[in-house]
Parts: sequence; C-alpha cells; structure tokens
Amino acid sequence: MLFVSQLMNLLVRASDGSDIGMLSDVVVRIDDRSYPPISGIVVRDQRRAMFIPASEIVEITHATIELNTMQLNLQRFNRRDGEVLLNKDVLDHQIIDINGRRIVRVNDIQMARIEHEYCVVGVDISPQALLRRLAPRAAARHIIGRQVISWADAQYLASAAPVQLKVSYNRLNDMSAVDLARIVDALSYRESAEIVAALDDETAAETLEEVSDERMADLLEGMDQERAADILEEMTPSAAADLLEDLDADVAEQILARMEPEEAEDVKELLAYDGDSVGRSMTTDLVVAYPDDRVEDVIRGLRAREELPDPLTEIYVVEHDDVDAGMEGIGARLIGIVRIPKLLVTHSDVQLRDILEEVPTIHADDPSENAARVLGEYNLTAVPVVDSDGMLVGAVSVDDALAVLLPDIWHRRGSRNFG
Amino acid sequence: MRIQNETLSPWRKTMRILRRSWWPYIAAIGPGLLAASAGNDAGGIATYASAGATYGYSLLWVMVLITIAVAIVQEMSARLGAVTGKGFADLARENFPIRVTALIMFTLLLANAGIIVSEFVGIAAAAELFGISRYIAVPVAAFVLWILITRGSYSRVEQILLILSAVFLSYIASAIIVHPHSQDIMAGLHPTIVRDSDYIKIVVALVGTTISPYMQLYVQSAVVEKGVSINDYRYTRIDVFVGTFIAGVVAACIIIATAATLHPLNIVITSAQDAARALAPIAGDYAEILFGVGLLGASLLAAGILPLATTYMLSESLGFERGVSRSWQEAPIFMGVFTVLIAVGAIVALIPGLPLIEVLVGVYVINGLLLPIELVAIVSLVNNKELMGVYTNTPFHSVLVWIIVGLVSLLSLIYIGWMIVQMFVG
Repeated sequence: MLFVSQLMNLLVRASDGSDIGMLSDVVVRIDDRSYPPISGIVVRDQRRAMFIPASEIVEITHATIELNTMQLNLQRFNRRDGEVLLNKDVLDHQIIDINGRRIVRVNDIQMARIEHEYCVVGVDISPQALLRRLAPRAAARHIIGRQVISWADAQYLASAAPVQLKVSYNRLNDMSAVDLARIVDALSYRESAEIVAALDDETAAETLEEVSDERMADLLEGMDQERAADILEEMTPSAAADLLEDLDADVAEQILARMEPEEAEDVKELLAYDGDSVGRSMTTDLVVAYPDDRVEDVIRGLRAREELPDPLTEIYVVEHDDVDAGMEGIGARLIGIVRIPKLLVTHSDVQLRDILEEVPTIHADDPSENAARVLGEYNLTAVPVVDSDGMLVGAVSVDDALAVLLPDIWHRRGSRNFG
Repeated sequence: MRIQNETLSPWRKTMRILRRSWWPYIAAIGPGLLAASAGNDAGGIATYASAGATYGYSLLWVMVLITIAVAIVQEMSARLGAVTGKGFADLARENFPIRVTALIMFTLLLANAGIIVSEFVGIAAAAELFGISRYIAVPVAAFVLWILITRGSYSRVEQILLILSAVFLSYIASAIIVHPHSQDIMAGLHPTIVRDSDYIKIVVALVGTTISPYMQLYVQSAVVEKGVSINDYRYTRIDVFVGTFIAGVVAACIIIATAATLHPLNIVITSAQDAARALAPIAGDYAEILFGVGLLGASLLAAGILPLATTYMLSESLGFERGVSRSWQEAPIFMGVFTVLIAVGAIVALIPGLPLIEVLVGVYVINGLLLPIELVAIVSLVNNKELMGVYTNTPFHSVLVWIIVGLVSLLSLIYIGWMIVQMFVG
C-alpha cells in the first residue's frame, strides 16, 4: 500500500539509472470508477515541472520511483481541465464519507497497484496520519493506526480544485435526504450549492425540506429561478409555501411565476394563511364525493385517478348544490366522511349517505397545534378543515400534524449555535 | 459552478443577509461592526483604561494608526471569505504545508486560550465588584456556560449578554461629560514616543487587543456563512470600515475618559474598581455597578463564544467530527477540546493572588506578539492568484499591508528584545 504524503519529494529514476527530479504530484481524473487509475505523475527538477504518463512508470515504492523512459523525451507539465492533483487538490481537502454520512478531511491518500495500474483506493482520515506528516521521517514510522475509507465511498467536491471539473455526484444517490441535509448544512455555502446543483429535482426537494431555514433560503435565492421552481414543484404545496415564506418576497414571487400555474395556485392559496395556522399545514389533495354516490361509483372514481392522495384514509362527502364548489368539490359544504375500510367492506350498491359519519372539523385559521389535539382526542387519522363559511378547504392528516410537531422536538435536541 | 445572483439587487441581498444573522439586534449593523466591537471586551477595556490612566492622552495617535490597520486587515479577511467561500482554518489547511498549518493553528489556539482566560478573569473581577467571591462566581459561570452551550440554548442568552455589554458605550458619554481640552486631545494625536518598557508593553497590548486574531476569524466566517459573493462584497466592505471606525471611537473614548479622570490623580489601574472610576462622571456612586454589569455581560458573552469558535476552528482544519449537538461518543475530540478550554480558563482565573489587570493586559501582549504569524498567513492567502483571481491586493494595498506587518513584527521584536535585556540586566 502506498501513501501519497510519503511519496512526495521521492527521487524519480529514469531507465538508465539517472535521477530526473523529485515527485511533486500525482495526476488523476476523478470519474465514476470506484478506484480511478492515475494518469501520470508530476516531477520537478531545479528548473521546471514535467509530466510523466502512467504508462512510463515501472514501479512506485516508498523508496523510489522507477521509469522505463529516458530523460530526453520529457514533456513539460501543463494542467488540463478535468485533471486533479492528488497532493494539491485532494490531500488536506474535505470530502464526503458516503457510508459514514459526514464530511471528513483527507489526512492521507492511499494508492495501490491493481492489474498493472496504480489506482487511488482510499482516504486516510485518522489523526495518526496527520501526526505522521507532522513528525520527522524517522519518528513517523513509529506512529501506528489508520482509518481508511474506500475511495468508492468517498465523494470528491469539485470546488476543491482550481480548474473546471466535471465531477460525478452519483455516489450521493446512496444517501438519504436527512443525511444529505446534514451535510449541506455543515458545508460552506458554495460547496453546499455545488451539492444541491448535482441532485435531481426530487432529491433536492426532499433535502431542502430538511435543511436549516437560513441555508435553504440562501440556496434557493442563489440558484437559477427555473431550477428553484422545478424543485418547489416536487414538494407538497404546504412544504413549498413554508419555504417560500422564508425567502425575500420579490424572489419568492418570481419563483412562483415560473412554477406550473396549477401548482403555483395551490401554493398561493396556502400562503394566504398565517404561517402557524391549520391552513398552512393542511393538504388540499382530497377525494370528495356526494351523498347519493354509491360505493361502486366512488371506487370506480378512485381507480380512474392518475394518482391517489398519500395517505388516503377517508372520503369527504359534500353537498351537491353548492355553485361555488371548485375543482374536486373543495369549497362545498361538508356533510361527513367515509373511512376507506368502511368503504371496502360495504356492498357496492349502498349510497354514501347511509354509511357516512359526522366528525369534528377545524378552522383553517386555527393554530396548527389544534389539529394535532383534535386528531388525538377523537382518534382520527385526518380531520377536515373548513373556512369561515363552513366550506371544506382541506384536511390535516396525522402525517401533517406530526410534521408540525416534529420541528420543535428536533430544535430542542440538536441545534447548533455557532459556525 | 456559477452561482446566479443577478436576479437579486445587491443591496436587497445584503439587507436580507443582515436581517437574518443570529443577533437580530446587531443584525441591523452587520458582522463587520460586531467583529470590531468584540475587541472591546474585558481585556480590551482593561488595556484602554490602563493606557489612558498611565499615559494620559499621549497614546491616542497610536489608536488612530491601529484603527487604520484594523480596517485594512479586517477588509482582507472579509474579502478572503467572499471570494473563496471558505473560512480561514479551511484555507490555511488547504493551501499551506502541513507544518505551517500546525504552527498557525497552535498560535491561534494559544492566543484564543489566553483571551478565554482573560474573560474568566473579567467574570471574577465583575463578581467581586458585586461582593461575590470569585471562587464561587467563576466555577458557577464555567459550569452554566458549558451546560448552555452543549444543550444548544446559548444563543437565547447571547442577546441578553450583548445588551449588558453595551453598557460600555457609557464611556462615550463619560468622555464627553469630562470636557476634555481639545488641545490635550490634539497633542495626544501628535506622535510621541516614551522610551520605557512599560510604554512598549502597553502599545503591544493595544495592538493585540485591537487587532485580535479572532476578529479576523469571525468576520471571515460570518461572510462565508451568509454566502456573501464578490458581487455584493462592496457592501460588506462598507460595513467593515464603519464597524472598525465605531469600535475605534469607543476605544478612544475609554482612553479619553480615563486620561481626564484618572491620569491627573496619578492612578495606575490595578483593579476593576480603578477602571470603574472613569465612569464616575456620568454614574456617580453607581459607577462600580455600571462597570460591573458591563464587564460581566462582555466577559460572559466572549467566554461563551470563544471556546466554541476555537474548537470549531481546530476541528475544521484538523478534520475531526464536530458540533456541540453530537454526543461524547460521536465527537470525543471536539467535546474534549471545548471542555478543556473552558476548564483551563476558569482554573487559571482562580489562581490565588492573581493580579487581575496585569493578566488582562498580559494576555493581549501575547496576542500582539503572535499577531505577525497570523497576519503573514492572511496576506499570503490574499495574494494567492489561484485562490483570489483578480481580487488579490493591488500594489499600493500590498505596500500598506507589509508596512503594517513590518511595524507589528518590529514592535514584537523590540518588546521581546527589551525583556531579554532586562532579564540579564536586572
């Protein structure tokens, strides 16, 4: 096993046994491969830096580096786009440890020979590696202990190198949104923007929902508005409304304008409610039916839908004759609900008016904690929400209520107040 | 990648950034002022008050030069943050050889540890003004701070402490009420040098307290945290300059207030009571209480922030698991370093017979002596083309900065030389 920090300044020997210079860096292209092979080394003599391709390297040991070439045909080193220097751009920089779900600093880099090629295989993050580099060479050998994470589990950050890099962020796909959010919060703004830019819209949406408000707002305001709109469309309207409220009002408006009209409309409706109100935490995606509908009609209707609300626990039965009733019956007077289990076990000819049950409702302007209390007291899985005229506008499910209560609990547990 | 910002007018963006920083009260002013006024903590007050009491107005010209130097240095740190998007510890680790990084980090650890000690000494002095034994006050304060920070509830207390420490603004009122003669002040602005080691020592301390390394660390990390980009940078620069100017005025007022009240009586400040007497013109018999409240607020504030900031700095550059919300198992080094810093600060402050004001000034002498190392590091980062592109220092700027570095280093060398000579002579 080779360690990059211990290779630096080693003598590089040509095939005729003469010294060419000292090793000053190792060049590699970081791509999707688990263990990228090195493309060459940079050797420095008194006057200049030279590039030696990997094909001309016979052997690398911790004592010397031997080449199969002569001094005559050496090319001057010029860094090309996409090339990363292990000593300069990777060593001492931060990477993401995918398995450990954290940011770590590279204290040393491990290389190994795999099928005639020298490859980057791992990153040593142990404090001992650091001590070894600080200590004189003679003492360094006596410092034992390593903590190597495989390069396959390491995500390199392109901003660490001063050149344009196309780094693949595929490795991040193995991480959950909560872990990604933790990392996005811990990185500097620019690095975190780099990460979010690499995520697909859906993952970016899930991640941003978990990120701290300040970082989330900075990220959304800093990114292309078209992208911001795409990400917000992936969120539930109430999550999108919560995020937009933390943004600069002008920017929020511009992002809304770029969203799909339908989704933007949902979000705007929610934004009209106060931040801590039931109206903000409720979902507006409901299945609505009329009292004279038969069980069969409802089930057929459900089957015909492209997408069902999640979770779907009950059907809302509303009055027929409301002229104002908007799409899907929202805005009509609520009569009662029919729970899905009930619907499943009832004969298909029965009309909903015969099986519906009356439940308490809450007001859209009530504080959102009220929804949780009603859900608990009446043993409901969802509680209908009505506006000041008593018209159905949405519902708060146990899930929604949990989302209201949880941030407080998280806040009390793990808030970080500096850095 | 390119971060797009053109949709936001820079001014609005800056306002929003300011609005959203941690201290809503200070947010209206910005990180530049906060960093600069952080210099006016327990040790800062002690140093300025000593300077005024011992040498009257004659050190005012030094303060003018130091304030200009602070503005230049703080601006470089803010620029580093805006262009690179990284904190100082990050940049040092990524751009200097590992041994140089170790030296810089050790220097900063030493400087910050000294200041943490001085904050606990400040807590002890404030407690004794209220008649509470320091052997009770310091351990209690250390324990409460540790609990508050590890539980993550410190930020709520922070605002109260900040308001308490604003009491020191009353020095401005005091400096006006004592009616200093304008010709005295003008004379003080005229450069004069007194040849004795105490004079050099107080100048080194003034430099150390006014250009504290943690102020540069703070302003850079604040700029990075808020994601200020180079396009919005000019507003940050104004904030840095205004902040430095105001902090300089406060420091000058402390010198003027003590020069007018204590210097004529030949009082050399040896205790908090002495320093408080300069507030007598506005507070009368309540001067000690006023001073005590301010001292307690400022000391607790800094004693809460500095150990955490120092631990973050070390963990950032050394790469160990960080965050106070992590448990001991998850982040043993982080929690260990943090706890040791608080414990050392508290224990040193409890050494019996410790001369309070001497320690406060002494800490900043150490700071002043270590300053050249940090300044050289900042300058070489700012002039690194690969990092800063077209935002490196201009030639004129470079000359200014090297003059500052040269003067500060020269001052340190003279003082060290003087001490060595004295060891052999006397």
